[in-house]
Amino acid sequence: MSGHNPTSTLAERVRIALNNDFLRNAVRFTTERLRTNKQAAAEQIGNWEEWRERGRQIRLHTIAHLDYYLAQFAENLRRAGGYVHFASTAEEAVAITLQIMAAKQAKSVVKSKSMVSEEVHINQALEEQGIETVETDLGEYIIQLAGETPSHIIIPAIHKNKAQVAELFSEVAGEPLPADTAVLAAFARSKLRGKFLEADIGMTGCNFAIAESGSIVLFSNEGNARMVSTVPRTQITMMGMERILPSWEDLEVMATLLPRSATGQKLTVYMSAINGPRRTADGDGPDELHVIIIDNGRSRQLGDPEFQEVLNCIRCGACLNACPVYRHIGGHAYGWVYSGPIGAVLTPVLNEEKEKWAEVANASTLCGACYEACPVKIPLHDMLVYIRRRNVEEGRTKRTERLGMKTYKVAVSSHRFYQLALKLGRIGQKPLVRDGQIPTRLGPLKGWNNVRTAPALAERSFRESWQALERELQQEMAEMSPQVKARLEELAGKRGDRHEQ
Amino acid sequence: MKISLFATCLSDAFFPRVSEAMARLLARYGIRLTFPEGQTCCGQPAFNSGYWVEAKEAARRLIDAFRDSDYVIAPSGSCISMIHHHYPALFRDDPAELRMARELAEKSYEFSQFLVGVLGVSDVGARFPHRVTYHPSCHGSRLLGVKDEPLTLLSHVRDLDFVPLPFAEDCCGFGGTFAVKMADISAAMVTEKADHVRETEAEVLVGLDMGCLMNIGGRMRHRGQAVRVMHLAELLYEGVRMADERA
Amino acid sequence: MNNERNPIIERLHRQSLQQQEAFLDHIAHRLGRERITTPPARPFAGAPDFWRGFTLEAEERISLFLSNWESLGGVAKRVRSMDDARAYIADLTDRMQAKRLVCEEHPLLADLLPEGDKEREVTVWGGGDPAHLLKKAAEADIGVAVADFAIAYTGTLVLTSSPARGRSISLLPAVFIGIVRAADIRTKMGEVLSVIRTWDGGRMPAGIHFVTGPSRSADIENDLTIGVHGPGSVHALVVDEVDGR
Repeated sequence: MSGHNPTSTLAERVRIALNNDFLRNAVRFTTERLRTNKQAAAEQIGNWEEWRERGRQIRLHTIAHLDYYLAQFAENLRRAGGYVHFASTAEEAVAITLQIMAAKQAKSVVKSKSMVSEEVHINQALEEQGIETVETDLGEYIIQLAGETPSHIIIPAIHKNKAQVAELFSEVAGEPLPADTAVLAAFARSKLRGKFLEADIGMTGCNFAIAESGSIVLFSNEGNARMVSTVPRTQITMMGMERILPSWEDLEVMATLLPRSATGQKLTVYMSAINGPRRTADGDGPDELHVIIIDNGRSRQLGDPEFQEVLNCIRCGACLNACPVYRHIGGHAYGWVYSGPIGAVLTPVLNEEKEKWAEVANASTLCGACYEACPVKIPLHDMLVYIRRRNVEEGRTKRTERLGMKTYKVAVSSHRFYQLALKLGRIGQKPLVRDGQIPTRLGPLKGWNNVRTAPALAERSFRESWQALERELQQEMAEMSPQVKARLEELAGKRGDRHEQ
Repeated sequence: MKISLFATCLSDAFFPRVSEAMARLLARYGIRLTFPEGQTCCGQPAFNSGYWVEAKEAARRLIDAFRDSDYVIAPSGSCISMIHHHYPALFRDDPAELRMARELAEKSYEFSQFLVGVLGVSDVGARFPHRVTYHPSCHGSRLLGVKDEPLTLLSHVRDLDFVPLPFAEDCCGFGGTFAVKMADISAAMVTEKADHVRETEAEVLVGLDMGCLMNIGGRMRHRGQAVRVMHLAELLYEGVRMADERA
Repeated sequence: MNNERNPIIERLHRQSLQQQEAFLDHIAHRLGRERITTPPARPFAGAPDFWRGFTLEAEERISLFLSNWESLGGVAKRVRSMDDARAYIADLTDRMQAKRLVCEEHPLLADLLPEGDKEREVTVWGGGDPAHLLKKAAEADIGVAVADFAIAYTGTLVLTSSPARGRSISLLPAVFIGIVRAADIRTKMGEVLSVIRTWDGGRMPAGIHFVTGPSRSADIENDLTIGVHGPGSVHALVVDEVDGR
């Protein structure tokens, strides 16, 4: 189905999504609600722009000093009795995990939501070793049963309806369950409760890691992240290497930005800081804690002025909820782990197969809604253009498009060529024009005219009528008021000053 | 004082009436526009598709054409935001060109931005007895920050029945070459936008960018949705004519 | 906890120490500089200044906490003394016909239920076999613990873990009762975080849990469900006067 290694093209995946009315309605409904909630939450606390700017500053500082803070984090967590591992690639992360599994002779794993674990395909690797791996976030549990991947960063099963969930759960239950949210959630609760209590290993992601104390911080609403980090004897946490924060006080800023941007909550129900394994006399918590810090393409963005800021992302999903493209095609069409605007950037920059993922960056109108929604002000709309430019520079575009752009370049290189192009266009369109419009569905107009009517080139361009218009305007030109005159001169004058400075 | 009109390629080639309305309206304030002939396109179609070499070619023509202008006014938030927001990136490797690009950005204004922000006009004295809704184009509102100006101007038009567009700030799906490359998604987006226009029961859809208006208007025309699509400059100019006639 | 290392873990650990250097060197290299080993200057840290200055009076803090907790779907009560708190707990236990309680080992929670109550079993956390404690917590109808702090602005109870206060108490039972002294309610999270910062070294508890209302999910059709994995019924008792403490 919707794996992370699709053989289909973006266009094919988009078509499937656009033909799925349930998906489109569900995604529209939920993203609309989330962005309304976010708006309200931002207004409720007030000074949202100041919070965003502070969030951005903290993230910029952290990434610029990443080596220092990771070293500090590792040292402090080891001091608290935890283990810290470093994985440059997905394969290394899997290998480390499997060694821990072997050491613990683990048979079963309960997982709480972790996007980075999706990147490294840990579930597959564990299943191949015969280790039962259960996703415990309700949404993740649903898509795991369906054999799918998350289609939203924070609402993984956004594309599924109650009836589909009931069908999946009924199969597990061995009896028919009604399509009733309360019944379905209660079933998942009791089913997963058993899994928590039996599992050898708990696996979590990491929302933030705090360098000054070697802590990891998990945000969740259901409580599964707490379960996974409380009940099993061994905990493994996978963490993208950029998840770090220097200090506890920085956490207040992120705890303000993340839940509000994600769901509009003031705070998620649970925010848990895990500071190493359980203390000797503690009655619960893991005996052993392993944190695996994962690069997997992230370090390539460091030192790249166009993309370093993408590491500031706090995975709130606000850009997905604001994106008009995501709203129509959902998450799976993007093809990889991350979807929406952040996915359209992360997919081509984190993956090494540039050719394969080049076109994902085209799935945006560059409307900038993502930037406006982003709690740490990542200029995703600019990054998408940078990716497209690299696609052009490195020859990953269609020949027809390159030819078109060559023609464009000639046409705009001088007003004479430009006018010639207009003239040729007018001659060419003549047989096709009806009432000032071109209704044909042939050639390059096909995509446009399937649902629209294209306008024809004007019979006389503006520049061709300018001289006449200018003469006419001279007749009717009003007297400029002294205020307007003064204002024009004042503003123009200020510019001069600035240049001299 | 040299105040120049940047017609933008879309208005120049497809919608000359828009630049004309703008020139006529500004003449009422004694603004004598010039039209430097060397202008072609801002370069955005190439820039957004990643063809920066081609985009630079267009940008250089524009910088050159308006070199000795004191003000540059265009009936497009998108083209002006291209100059403001993207020219610095385009020319970041060449300090001399970068300086010229910045000079152009500093003196370039979108039409409503110039009218309200520079001339200090909020009431052009128009009358327009129709039900009107407004689509704020993404680049003008988000990148250039032109949000209140058009609403201020519309709120002072006599007899105008303004009805807000639901989900107004959502992109219409134009996105330049996006509409061709990702035609299916674009179609879904513009259809939703046209649905929202229908909900308002407006007779007129007004905006600041002919790209978006051509997209939404083309969709509405295709499915027989009888809504007149106008640039704000056209609406205001038609409105002052209407008010003149009555007076 | 790492006294007896498994040989595989031991090898992995040594390998990780080596890999760490290459990993961090690579980051520094990508950033175009040498490794940084001294603390970087922080021109910006923590919340913006306007927020640091924001603080509420004691009474405002209490009422804001109570109203936030209630609007999240919890039950919030302000009680005069621990006697009143105990009465509330006994009453709730009766109403629920709860059979099993698990509570932290805390002087305030001694004699939680009337003496001679043979109907109910109270498991006091504190020492003992972890597996047994876990079993008791999983079976319990109600968990009771004393919070270190509450945060008024978000409606949050802050619970640290300790030998006397298991994490499971506030997690496994279907009902959780959190007690907080009125004097421990802070206006905003930053005030609590700045205390946590000072718990360096040995004083840092292994788990610090910020609990803001009942467990919830909206993963099925964005339909709000309460009590998914954690407690669905949460009671916050704000105690004004705490005898002798």
